[in-house]
Amino acid sequence: MQSNRYHRQMLVKEFGEQAQQILAAKHVVLIGGGGLGSHSADLLVRMGIGSITIIDNDVVDSTNLHRTSLFTEEDLGNPKAMVLQQKLHAVNSEVKVAGVRRVVINENIEALVRGADVILDGTDSLPLRYLINDVSIKRDIPWVYAGVCDTVGMVMGVIPKKTPCLQCISKDIPEQSTGETPVLGSLPATTAAIQVNETLKLLLGRPLAGLIVYDVWNQCFETMKISRNPECPVCVKARWKML
Amino acid sequence: MIIKIKLIGRYKTIAGQDNLQFDANTGTTIRQVIDMFVKQYPLVEKDKKFMMVSKNNALTSVDTPIGEGDEITICPPVVSGG
Repeated sequence: MQSNRYHRQMLVKEFGEQAQQILAAKHVVLIGGGGLGSHSADLLVRMGIGSITIIDNDVVDSTNLHRTSLFTEEDLGNPKAMVLQQKLHAVNSEVKVAGVRRVVINENIEALVRGADVILDGTDSLPLRYLINDVSIKRDIPWVYAGVCDTVGMVMGVIPKKTPCLQCISKDIPEQSTGETPVLGSLPATTAAIQVNETLKLLLGRPLAGLIVYDVWNQCFETMKISRNPECPVCVKARWKML
Repeated sequence: MIIKIKLIGRYKTIAGQDNLQFDANTGTTIRQVIDMFVKQYPLVEKDKKFMMVSKNNALTSVDTPIGEGDEITICPPVVSGG
């Protein structure tokens, strides 16, 4: 560990050298490296996560640029996962960053998340989030949902069989529209920062906040405390929705 | 009885307040609370099917009756963009 890279972070009393060392021993798998995912990966790498695998099958598109900070016009057409691997290695060469250009499906997700301490959701797909939820519960790997739309961001950390899972609250999730999701450019960075904070809590064993809602126009964070659904088909009855 | 409702996110903007109160009969259900909310604030109509309503921190069936003193929270639908 470089002597002064994390100095200011370790000055945080509730973090310190011990948490820094814990973080350096952890591995996260990020599924989706776009607006949300690229910001979350950037923060985790800068903060000193041990290793991160970034899985995305898309290439950088001009419509991504308004809500990301790592991608530039020079990256257009190049695979997001590989661009992030290269740029994040330049950000912090102490972190093992692996880009994987692959579509995540039920047949490969268990292999892709093997060894992860936490799975991060950077997708823009509702079915894929259900798949992440299934594999999280089945393999007992915590995950952190994050989503953005218009001017609203939401984040929820999930500890399998201890906190509500996506299915616990899913009776109220609308089907994904087939059109493009409207997103204010500044929103993914804010939402990703919240996602990373919840990830940090998971990795350090601190309690999670629940479902966090950030609304740009209200300029405030709110938390909706939700209990587990005692009849949840996934986290209670182990009936996988997508696997 | 008086039903006190906590609003989350943009619902506060739409309502212009953080909390609502409705006068309702004993046995009023979550569904009826949603109907009252939508009737008073038609801007939330498009969310009606998907808004998350919790009673005492648990998401429950829309047919669940509400009693005196129950804590009701209404949250906009979960978002799925990335």
